[in-house]
Amino acid sequence: MKRYLRLYLHFLRFSFSRAFEFRVDFWFRIVMDCGFYAVNLILFTLFYRHTDTIGGWTIDQSYIFISGFFLVDAIHMTVFSNNMWWLPLLVNKGDLDYYLVRPVSSLFFLSLREFAANSFINLLIAIGIMIWAIARYPGPGELGALNIVTFAVLIGTGAFLHYCLHLLFILPVFWLHTNRGLAMVFFSMGKLGERPDRIYTGITRMVLLTVLPFSLIASVPTDTLFAGLTVGRALHVTAVCVGMFSVLLFLWSRGLRGYVSASS
Amino acid sequence: MIEVTNLRKTFYVHKKAPGLRASFRSLFHREKTAKHAVKGATFRVEEGEILGLIGANGAGKTTLVKMLSGIIHPTSGDARVLGHVPWERSNELRRQVALIMGQKAQLWWDLPAADCFLLLRDIYQLPEQEYRTSLDKLSSMLGVKDVLNVQIRRLSLGERMKMELIAALLHSPRVLYLDEPTIGLDLTAQKAVRDFILEYRSQRAPAMILTSHYMEDIERLCKRIIIIREGEIVYDGGLRTVVEQYATEKTVTAHLKKNGELAVAKPEVARLGTVAECNAVCVKLRVPRDRVAEAAQALLHHYEVADITIEEPEIGQIIEQIMTARGGSDAGGPGAPESLGAPSIAGSSAENEEEGS
Repeated sequence: MKRYLRLYLHFLRFSFSRAFEFRVDFWFRIVMDCGFYAVNLILFTLFYRHTDTIGGWTIDQSYIFISGFFLVDAIHMTVFSNNMWWLPLLVNKGDLDYYLVRPVSSLFFLSLREFAANSFINLLIAIGIMIWAIARYPGPGELGALNIVTFAVLIGTGAFLHYCLHLLFILPVFWLHTNRGLAMVFFSMGKLGERPDRIYTGITRMVLLTVLPFSLIASVPTDTLFAGLTVGRALHVTAVCVGMFSVLLFLWSRGLRGYVSASS
Repeated sequence: MIEVTNLRKTFYVHKKAPGLRASFRSLFHREKTAKHAVKGATFRVEEGEILGLIGANGAGKTTLVKMLSGIIHPTSGDARVLGHVPWERSNELRRQVALIMGQKAQLWWDLPAADCFLLLRDIYQLPEQEYRTSLDKLSSMLGVKDVLNVQIRRLSLGERMKMELIAALLHSPRVLYLDEPTIGLDLTAQKAVRDFILEYRSQRAPAMILTSHYMEDIERLCKRIIIIREGEIVYDGGLRTVVEQYATEKTVTAHLKKNGELAVAKPEVARLGTVAECNAVCVKLRVPRDRVAEAAQALLHHYEVADITIEEPEIGQIIEQIMTARGGSDAGGPGAPESLGAPSIAGSSAENEEEGS
């Protein structure tokens, strides 16, 4: 564990060194993400001009939900997204070779080696928006410290599930050699997680809470912040996390087995 | 240290005729063909040995190296590297193995090599003192100490390859795979890399497998070679032995005394072999090995000879002929060694074309 932490510190150092070198890109990324945050906040504000609640949530609750979603997105963009973007290219060009000969988990290496240092500021901005949303909530004392901590933990598991889902949509590249179609499906389905889970019903809701758990990313954590954590929900989230990661490990191992590299 | 038994790898690729219609048809039906990249390779490599793996492009050299380094799984067969199955990728094995591919970079392009080496120190869990000693020694041997802190992308190709070598050897591997380590380098850099490999071998004695298209790499570094042709090992033995095994002729050259007269290829001499050259300066004959003495005698008898030389054909030329020859019947073209069509002397069995799994 300590060794992997040391390796991750190297990744961080490398990423910051490189990000500072390309400063236009560094500032551009921050401006771009701020625009994304603003558009979403404005969109929800506009929705609430026509209704008092969406999926049972008031505008103040929705701001917290959006801030949770922003935070998961910022974590993903900062920690995982560059790696996810590179992976299909590495597989198709046969550039996984060196990662496979090192005595270290290839999944760890390929998921985390590229830290997007230029998104790091956005991570801080997303945290700031979350603090703002919680602070402006009428009677933040009602939320309770325990619920806020639980919310933070569930946002962490949400980020983890987002990573698992994204990678699961990428892994078919080992067999199909292109994943553009699936990447589009992932981003389209990701939109479902950007809305409160209570607006879905029946099988759609069940799928979004289990097999394709986009609603566990930000919606369920936000609901837990207001309603508190039950044993059933804790078990549900744990089971889905373990299940998703097990499937991911299995498919990763099968993918590497099918990896054909590329001729030099 | 490396044991390979009947290792095979088959790739399946789909064929597509050119044109839009064929592209559309391929949406519904694809014809798959099997490409047998490695056909039953069997060999061993011992400690301190550098085995040269030679073959034309697409012969299966790199596929073989990738299977032995655990990057790809074989279709069938077995291999043990330091007692481990390489494609199981145990950390214990990977700590003792290194791979260098001349056409693929392993170092971070935008970072100085020194930073990349620190990462490798932690990947291989090298003690600080061991890491410092190893880095100091390798960078001194390769003469790149003064550029360790320069970004990789600002280094020359030769310097980059030297950094790649350091990256591969920092953890003192017991098995080293070198896949075209000198490709694209200028002559000086090629020589530096070769000298370094030899020096490293004398100090650490790892088992090495080297693939290269440069004959000088092979001649300088390898006593033993494997020639691989269309996935099949057609020769496994000493580099020098390949000449005796495959070169059926020697060149006998009579350097003539300078009398200004143009020499004529006399029938008594011409019947002994092929006249390669005949002019005022020399008469050059390619003759079967068992007729060399007879040819030399005939030349001395029929011409005014100042000096006489007997030469083996160039190894590179022989190997090239073996590599490019196709099957038995195609092998007997002009100048091709007679024995090219003979069964493999490497012990690999005749290939049946069914490929499993």
